[in-house]
Amino acid sequence: MTRAPYGTTLALGLIALVLAMLAGAFWGTADLPWDDRIAALLRLPHAQPNLELIIWEWRLPRVIMVALVGGALALSGVIMQALLRNPLADPYLLGLSSGASAAATAAIVWMPAAFVASFGLELLAFLGAMLAFVLTLGLAFQPGRGMDKLVLILAGVAISLFFSSVSAFFIHIADPHVTRNALSFLMGSAAGARWADMSPLALALPFGFIATWFCATMLDAVLLGDERATALGVPLPVLRLALLSLAALLTGLSVAGAGIVGFVGLIVPHMARLLVGAPHKRLIPVAVVLGMIVLVVVDLLCRTLLAPEELPLSVLLALFAAPPFVYILRRVRNGF
Amino acid sequence: MASDILTLDTLSLTKGQAVLLDGVSFALQRGKFHALLGPNGAGKSSLMRVLYRAETDATGTVSLEGKPIKDWHRKAYAAKVGALVQESVSLSGLTLAEVVILGLLPLALSRDEAQARCAEALGLVGLANRATEDATHLSGGEQQRLFFAQLLALDPDIYILDEPHNHLDLHYQYVLLDIVRRRGKTVLASFHDLTLATRFCDHAFLLDHGRLAASGTLAEVLTPERLASVYRIDADFTGGALSIRGAIV
Repeated sequence: MTRAPYGTTLALGLIALVLAMLAGAFWGTADLPWDDRIAALLRLPHAQPNLELIIWEWRLPRVIMVALVGGALALSGVIMQALLRNPLADPYLLGLSSGASAAATAAIVWMPAAFVASFGLELLAFLGAMLAFVLTLGLAFQPGRGMDKLVLILAGVAISLFFSSVSAFFIHIADPHVTRNALSFLMGSAAGARWADMSPLALALPFGFIATWFCATMLDAVLLGDERATALGVPLPVLRLALLSLAALLTGLSVAGAGIVGFVGLIVPHMARLLVGAPHKRLIPVAVVLGMIVLVVVDLLCRTLLAPEELPLSVLLALFAAPPFVYILRRVRNGF
Repeated sequence: MASDILTLDTLSLTKGQAVLLDGVSFALQRGKFHALLGPNGAGKSSLMRVLYRAETDATGTVSLEGKPIKDWHRKAYAAKVGALVQESVSLSGLTLAEVVILGLLPLALSRDEAQARCAEALGLVGLANRATEDATHLSGGEQQRLFFAQLLALDPDIYILDEPHNHLDLHYQYVLLDIVRRRGKTVLASFHDLTLATRFCDHAFLLDHGRLAASGTLAEVLTPERLASVYRIDADFTGGALSIRGAIV
């Protein structure tokens, strides 16, 4: 398969990302003249204060939040697929998202509001993702035989089901006023995102991006097999522990930001790989940008398709992801 | 008299109840081609895994140039001890050239030098004109040649070759080992084909149930008694050829 030129692909991706984010800021349920929209976005003196509020306090934080979540989940997917050498590895399928959401739901329902507001939610979501990941890996690992690709996914599904039922239980027993918040975790939504919610992910994503990019060649070596990577001097246990924890952190923060958003971590790395190949120096930037574009566009569709009603992110994502998912599943049988 | 480059001192490895290596001691001599022989399960691959550091639970000492393996920085060690391992993977999304250049990871080479080494190595294994192809669709033999190219590009001081003839046709079995031999580096290669081993090896180590059963030239090691006790065949090994005399024991 011929690869797209890397520089052009990344440049086009960045342009598309800016356009998608502008579209996300401009379009919404309110139908207004373009002059007003531009004036509001640029905060011109004659801008309508209410529209300025909508764009600056509602839409932009939301657009940036979904972009961060899309990028973080794509990066998690790239890390997990490389280090587990499993094309199906993804924070959603391996149960991390459900683990994070169960912990976040528990936090919303049980923890004091002040704790939840001061990064307690993010911390618990990360720990939940980590716990679910460890459980999935523990369930899938067979001593002496390693880890079968499909068994790992089945283990992830089992853990995911368990944590989903934990979340459902918390929501069921809780006060109805708080459960509305908690419910959005299960379906994925960035509605109500505020600037103040953004800082953990806005810090973690660039950090994670740079850290992973510096490990890119080692990740390439892991694709050759554990033994070869070790023989080439890659410190595999340390690399796995550090980067898989980073993937769990990014997933936990994404879930805290926008709830369970499935399939981005699975599909986007494959799309990026089809474009620029498997070497991670090229794959990581392209996957992150693609993940951002995909989620910004999907969120825009969720807001506008049935306006003024909003669809949860997972509804449209599952619809878009089903065909590529089937394609990847078929390829797994022929190796990766 | 050649000097020792790598020494193993009472190397032992146990996994659960299984004793994989049991007090193995020997030394590799600089510039010599060594065969590691033994039936299935004798401990050949386990021993090699210790040498390329995929196995870290072994007791005893391995020293490279007199310095214990654990005191070497992992990259410096990887630059000196290269391995051809048995591990099947799918190479989807990587070109042949990218796979070879990954083999240069332990060295800090300029892009030009890495590409020059890669082109030369791919030429040696007969894959020069396929450098930019995706490696997904290589046959088993082609993949083995590709990993040979990776190792030849690195050109370490010690080549650890775990069943190097695997998947290779007769032509490449001889050609690739001949290239390695002509480089004049230290080699430890495991073999099942004793005729192939005879052609290349200066020295042989015979493992049996994790122990070193014999060490010497192939003719010294492969006596009819050892062929019977270790390999369980009634055979003679003379003039580099194995002739079966009687029943398989």
